[in-house]
Amino acid sequence: MTRSAIRWLLPALALTGVPAAAHHSYSMFDMKKTVALDATVARFKWQNPHSFIEADVKVPDGTERWAIEMTSPNNLVQEGWKRTSLKPGDKVTIWVHPLRSGAKGGSYVGVRLADGSTLGETD
Amino acid sequence: MRLAPGAMLAALLLAAPAAAQLAAAPASPVPEGVTEGEGAANPKGHYAALDALPDWGGIWFVMFERPAPGAAPAAGPKLKGEYLERREAWLAAARANSGVVARNRSNCSPPGMPRIMRLAQYPYEFIFSPGRVTINQEAWMQTRTIWTDGRAHQEDPDPTFMGDSIGHWEGDTLVVDTIGISGELEIDTGVPHSDKFHLVERIHLDPADPDVLVNEMTMDDPDALAEPFRVTARYRRDRYGSLIEFQCSENDRNPVDENGETQFN
Repeated sequence: MTRSAIRWLLPALALTGVPAAAHHSYSMFDMKKTVALDATVARFKWQNPHSFIEADVKVPDGTERWAIEMTSPNNLVQEGWKRTSLKPGDKVTIWVHPLRSGAKGGSYVGVRLADGSTLGETD
Repeated sequence: MRLAPGAMLAALLLAAPAAAQLAAAPASPVPEGVTEGEGAANPKGHYAALDALPDWGGIWFVMFERPAPGAAPAAGPKLKGEYLERREAWLAAARANSGVVARNRSNCSPPGMPRIMRLAQYPYEFIFSPGRVTINQEAWMQTRTIWTDGRAHQEDPDPTFMGDSIGHWEGDTLVVDTIGISGELEIDTGVPHSDKFHLVERIHLDPADPDVLVNEMTMDDPDALAEPFRVTARYRRDRYGSLIEFQCSENDRNPVDENGETQFN
């Protein structure tokens, strides 16, 4: 994993994170840490209990598949999301609170879409 | 008459559905406090009266107010006895494991009352019909029925996720009384209660903002709570929003393993 692919942000950014847990606890995520992933969307699932992004992040010897959990579709609608906001192949930057376990996953914070527009919290 | 075994089997197979068709239609008793021919089961002729009720149209999202920096966290329920011990054991387990605690049931299992009335991510709608208010919850596609036709609580309700709710209108405030909530459920994450848990809700529009619905909740429990716990939930209106399907099994990325660890797939 290179620094160009994953930029570690100031912990202060993470204090404005996801609201209280609903479907499950957020303690699996490190909510004090935010990372930015330059990624290619593999799959976008628009469904309760959580929408989901699977994305490939470039690393020196290939790509890593990240699984990114979002809030509910109805909450994402309030933020400007639609079922069609992402499609496979889109090149995006996604900000996430990473899993504490170190596995390739995280909780969604914000995204910069291929056209440069942003949703959620980005730097 | 003596039948061959094959004929007897055929007779049995035929008899079961036929008997079901011939049995009398199910006849549940009239609830205590309701006169025969009236109440929620007999809505005809009572729809026009609903127009006198307040305007709770649209869907409603819980509002979370961020505490001021440095502010003390809001006081939680004051537990006692074995419930306090269980709470302390839960906290100790969480502290020992970066806030992660074991779960004893699937994340696809709903939280039930009262937690489901205070969820961040999934909105609610309130449907009025004669003699009842129905609260549809996007979360786990749960339905809560509040009987407003004057009936009493069931004498010995089965413990359930939603409990047994009866209500009445005091002006524009819906006052709801709920018992019969399963003692397996929690007041809040890691805050247990007994099967004697009792909740009163006073639900009304905010006089200062008609697009905000206020739910003043008072909880008591003779076994688990040292004093009544009061908390107010506020919901903001999305007038033309609608609830989205919630089929957890279709998108279950967080199964719980045999050690109670929530997975992330």
